[in-house]
Amino acid sequence: MNLKELRNKLDNKEIGAVELAQDYLNRIKARDAAINSYITVCEEEAISQAKAAQAVIDAGESKPLTGIPLSIKDNICTNGVRTTCASRMLEDFIPPYDATAVAKLKSDGFVMLGKTNMDEFAMGGSSQTSYFGGPKNPYNTNCVTGGSSGGAAASVAAGLCAAALGSDTGGSVRQPSAFCGVTGLKPTYGAVSRWGLIAFASSLDQIGVIGNSAFDTGYVLNTIHGYDENDATSSGLSQGNYTELVGSDISKLKIGLTKEFLDGSSEEVRAAVLSAADFYKSLGCEIIECSLPSLEYAVSAYYLISSAEAAANLSRFDGIKYGYRSGLGEDYNDLIKNSRREGFGDEVKRRIMLGNYALCSGYYDAYYNNARRIRTQIRKEYAAIFEKCDVILTPTAPTTAYKIGEQENDPVKMYLADICTVTVNIAGLPAISTTCGYGSDSMPIGMSLTGKPFDEKTIIAVCDRFEREFIRRECAEL
Amino acid sequence: MNYQPVMGLEIHCELLTNSKVFCTCKNEFGGGANTRVCPRCSGMPGTLPLLNKGAVRLAAKAGFATNCTVNNYSAFDRKNYFYPDLPKAYQITQFESPICTDGYIDVTGGKRIRINRIHIEEDAGKLVHDDYEGISMADYNRCGVPLIEIVTEPDFRTIEEVQDFVIQIGQRLNYAGVCDAKMEQGSLRVDVNISLMPYGSDEFGTRAEIKNLNSVKSIGRAIAYEIQRQSEILDKGGKVLQETRRYNENHDDTKAMRSKEEAHDYRYFPEPDIPPVLFTDEEIDIIRREMPELPNQRFERYTKQYKIPEEDAKLILAEKAFSDFYDEAVNITPEYKLISNLMLGEISHQINETGTGITEVKFSPADVAKVAELAAKGTISKGSAKDIIAILFAEGGEPEAIAKKNGFIMSNDTSGLDAIIDEVLTANADAVEKYKAGNAKLFGFIMGQAIKACGKGANPGLIKQTLSEKLK
Repeated sequence: MNLKELRNKLDNKEIGAVELAQDYLNRIKARDAAINSYITVCEEEAISQAKAAQAVIDAGESKPLTGIPLSIKDNICTNGVRTTCASRMLEDFIPPYDATAVAKLKSDGFVMLGKTNMDEFAMGGSSQTSYFGGPKNPYNTNCVTGGSSGGAAASVAAGLCAAALGSDTGGSVRQPSAFCGVTGLKPTYGAVSRWGLIAFASSLDQIGVIGNSAFDTGYVLNTIHGYDENDATSSGLSQGNYTELVGSDISKLKIGLTKEFLDGSSEEVRAAVLSAADFYKSLGCEIIECSLPSLEYAVSAYYLISSAEAAANLSRFDGIKYGYRSGLGEDYNDLIKNSRREGFGDEVKRRIMLGNYALCSGYYDAYYNNARRIRTQIRKEYAAIFEKCDVILTPTAPTTAYKIGEQENDPVKMYLADICTVTVNIAGLPAISTTCGYGSDSMPIGMSLTGKPFDEKTIIAVCDRFEREFIRRECAEL
Repeated sequence: MNYQPVMGLEIHCELLTNSKVFCTCKNEFGGGANTRVCPRCSGMPGTLPLLNKGAVRLAAKAGFATNCTVNNYSAFDRKNYFYPDLPKAYQITQFESPICTDGYIDVTGGKRIRINRIHIEEDAGKLVHDDYEGISMADYNRCGVPLIEIVTEPDFRTIEEVQDFVIQIGQRLNYAGVCDAKMEQGSLRVDVNISLMPYGSDEFGTRAEIKNLNSVKSIGRAIAYEIQRQSEILDKGGKVLQETRRYNENHDDTKAMRSKEEAHDYRYFPEPDIPPVLFTDEEIDIIRREMPELPNQRFERYTKQYKIPEEDAKLILAEKAFSDFYDEAVNITPEYKLISNLMLGEISHQINETGTGITEVKFSPADVAKVAELAAKGTISKGSAKDIIAILFAEGGEPEAIAKKNGFIMSNDTSGLDAIIDEVLTANADAVEKYKAGNAKLFGFIMGQAIKACGKGANPGLIKQTLSEKLK
């Protein structure tokens, strides 16, 4: 059942909003202990929002998301509900404002079930850097969810919400969606306001949607997208109905297949993606082999740019105004140092150090400026591909979800696993990940479709076409 | 040994916008601590800067006021450092691409001082230290107050050049509506970079930067002290350290704040939250056309067209409201010199005596124009004009009515004048004799006696004429 069908059930009174919310809350109670996908569950708020939603539905004034229960990643500010970024630093931080995306959901009358687990400050690909303990993969609780929106993806996969808001800086919506066997949409940079999204890397961050289907992600995007004067980088170009091409004929589309991405992936991932390409070919789509030569520099450029921006963005957490404050020290210098030392986890500190190093005078040109040049080059290469293709098909991650504890101690290995997703953020493009197979470990394999700027409609439709034919497996009994 | 001082300035000016530069908090001076803060300017997580376009326009006007190029492309950067009064721990400023570049101002003696750049940035808050309690408190009211920083080339060689430049900058920005330029309130803050070199050399010495200068006078004294200090070091064969020094008004000296070794690496990089500021040539032209007449342009008008002495013109221009008042008055009655004299004479006198501002007086420029008209036509004497101004100052009123009421209207009737003057001559026979014997100075004395005898309504011109004839 997609969100539109759920909408109809609510409007036809086949199901009540409060009953629906209670259903989800019960499931969270029963199952979330096993996967730890939520940091905060908003039971009272959810029920009162559901009651309000039911009144709106009863008045015949429902909007697309009225009464629909969603989860929100815990780096997206929610007025009056603590927003931790999965960090000790913000363990007790309660924002006095809503992120614009949340405000838009609220004006639709949605039901917020809670705030989902993630990598600390969204830095990571496993969600294991969470101060509250990492979430577990609903397909196999010994495996990671991916990250950083691991809690969001797991909450959708385990049926603990109807859909989820996540954020994607270098793959943080798509990769956990792939690992948890759900669909994750990262919109074009600027399509969704970043106001209220606690910044990791401002030029790369984008709020995205994780759902059970491509249709659902577009359905939620319809509500949250749009220009926002509170975010000068948001765009008025993100307009229209993102699900309107779903079900239309896609057989005339040209689909690019980039060899560099396939070369870096495991045999079974590669095979699954190639068989998806065959499926599109069987529909009549033209499969065009293309190339992104700068891919080999992409991960380095991504980590330099994102860490540099993060170093500055996270400087505000100094123990002076809000958040964690150390009791140690003599003067303000000590206060700042100790608060940061005790408030941040190791991965966050690693990125802050990397970023500051890259920005130091003397190294700036060699690191930060070269990363900017690579960014320009990658944009050009994408533009060239999109002269020949409508969408690009790639793996979402080089492997399936790995075992918890397997990779976390090797940061470089972790960073390199972002190879398939970071270029999309570097170029600001929209991309969607869906499940295209299962590995020998029975874990889901994800493929991604990347589109032209602000052409989410097409990738949603192309993704939906595949999902119609592909049968997903149920996740493990929790 | 005497050395050639070399100086350059960095001037921070608060912009006269209604709201702060990256949020909608009011941009005002004073008020209770942390009463003008919001999630944005206090650096709360998830907030983003919202660029105040008014601040950008004012910065562009500052550029036009100082002969700068206003750039089609400018962009913001982050300047990173930790301090409790800086809530984001970075200041948003313009580093790589400032809004204005390559300007100049001509100072005393016709020397041209080049302006390297003008950029926009946000102010930080303030720390308030309570030594009694042993605590420090942060006040974020000033966080996000829009500033421009004007950076000159090291073109200054004398204190007078520096002082004239600062006065001119303050006046020009004030006239352009960019900044109220109140140094004592900190809305215009000057840092002086100063080094010495032997006369005739063209190799600059090591510079020190002096901060905390809050008046034109302090600037002069601080530079004089610093010249002395650096000279003594160099005379002894020592080396001047590159450091930041704070001027202390009470001690009249400068003390080191931090040296270059302790200087920050600010790790500038482009601000990703604010897209670059793009202006088309047309947009730049629109802002240029909004520029009011600047004090230097008014100076030209006063001295060239109105033939006002330069010193007088400077005095009129010192305060914009004063100069505006003058312009309105001469617009009605083009008695440039007469009105200038009234304004710099009795009006300034009364303003200084009473502490009343020119915008608070009980009379209008039209009233002053009327007084000048009456005096110019010979309806009243210049002395009476002064008296009418004093009455206007005290109680207001209509100049002509005041003149009539007080008997200031001069009579052009010579009948009766002869008799009065004859009496005066008789009464001062002694002086008359001495005058006739060749003591020409005594004419003034006799004239004075005659005016006194004739009363205020008398026409001094006529008295003088009659007297001259009688004393022939």
